[in-house]
Amino acid sequence: MDSLKLVNVTKLFDNNVALNKISFTLPSKGIFGLLGTNGAGKTTLIGIILGLIDTTKGDVFVFEKNLSEFRYDILKKLNFTSPYLDLPKKLTVKQNLTFYARLYNVLNFDIIEELSEELKISDLLKKQFGSLSAGQKTKVGLCKALINTPKLLLLDEPTSSLDPETSYFVRNFLKNYQKKNHITIFTASHNMQEVEEICDRVIILDKGKLFVDGIPKELISKYNFENLEDLFLNIRN
Amino acid sequence: MFLRIFALIIRYKTLVVGSIPRLISVFWWPSIQIVLWGFFSTFLDSETSSPYSTISVLLTAVILWDVLFRGQLGLTITFFEEIWSRNLSHLFITPLRNFELIIGLIITSFIRTVLGLIPAIFISTYYFELKTFYLGFYFVIFFFNLIITGWSIGFIVSGLVLRYGQSFEELAWAFIFLLLPFSCVYYPLSTLPEIIQNFSIFISPVYVFEGMREIIIQNQTNFSYILKAFILNILYLSVSVYFFYKMIISTRKSGKFLNFGE
Repeated sequence: MDSLKLVNVTKLFDNNVALNKISFTLPSKGIFGLLGTNGAGKTTLIGIILGLIDTTKGDVFVFEKNLSEFRYDILKKLNFTSPYLDLPKKLTVKQNLTFYARLYNVLNFDIIEELSEELKISDLLKKQFGSLSAGQKTKVGLCKALINTPKLLLLDEPTSSLDPETSYFVRNFLKNYQKKNHITIFTASHNMQEVEEICDRVIILDKGKLFVDGIPKELISKYNFENLEDLFLNIRN
Repeated sequence: MFLRIFALIIRYKTLVVGSIPRLISVFWWPSIQIVLWGFFSTFLDSETSSPYSTISVLLTAVILWDVLFRGQLGLTITFFEEIWSRNLSHLFITPLRNFELIIGLIITSFIRTVLGLIPAIFISTYYFELKTFYLGFYFVIFFFNLIITGWSIGFIVSGLVLRYGQSFEELAWAFIFLLLPFSCVYYPLSTLPEIIQNFSIFISPVYVFEGMREIIIQNQTNFSYILKAFILNILYLSVSVYFFYKMIISTRKSGKFLNFGE
């Protein structure tokens, strides 16, 4: 079963084209990257998959169900985190995670302890979310995004605010989590090295259009570049 | 469904209980209103020879108006907390349905309003010797009519903020005071100029306050007031909830959910 299928997804904001007939399919397992320059349409695309933005034309199918018809069934199996969004600052980390567990109908709160241990944030559970550093917030955001054991996990620049050591930890965590739980991770990123390292396939958007879709190593050799960053910087010329 | 509504209520409770400024906003203002108006009414009672107690009319009006005000603020502020904490996107990607959010906001507003009124009623009853419960069952009817009006305004304001941005937040405080002169809280409808009366008859709180005065001053009840207030309130609440739904749909089309709080 495909985890995600987009069919001719188009989004207009007033008369500006944010996304233009985007179609692709993601299989049920793997880590997939979404690349694009600022304004390429990555955030809009993620917003559409999350049901936060309605399409102007086209359909989104998640686990073969149409998002516009089965929004709430789909949202139970999906989750998302971004360093650009916050959780309630005045609540402690544990209160935040418990709140989201309840919203996803997760009754066994042991998952909070388990995920906290895996993400090494157990010592933060009693702290207010607002008092955490950017890196700690990113880890807590990731913990929140895994609270419902999603089958499709969407990430927006998951390591953008992290130091190299923590970035390395998060990358490994995501790889291991994906292997262990056989889920689909779809991550938007500007970190080409990271995408090259962890993604099985990349999708590159340019000015709202799907520009490139393929396996990083194959794309690099096909277009004869040294690495993904070179490819990203030069392929549009 | 119940777990998600419960989650919202617990989240908002934790937020208020853990914050002194928020606790003040819940408990302090209703009480300070009663104290101010209580002393003023005591002064008026000592200076005039009115056949009925000014304290009774004024303080009951203050308490009832506060039901409307706190009901509205309780709903909008609770919703704004999600915007202020940049949490709206996270909330709308959970399986939380729109009606569950609406019920969660209504229950939270109800609890906030009732808790805020307890010290105010205590002060007015024991210090100013106001017989709040003189209104008996009608107090409950008036309470629900006014809090429903508050919720209706709350959903309209929240919907406008959701769709058009945080510049509309000021309406949470301004809207209610725009309504105040036309709601006949402290004076009868007949006091207003006729042209304004034609407008005020569509404002449901008018009938609540007319009914309240009739009970206190003339010791009689006009059921038509209660019926009119109830019909108008059901109409306004339905329209406002529909408007809030439409604004959520419209916000999804405009793509603003991802930008809230930035």
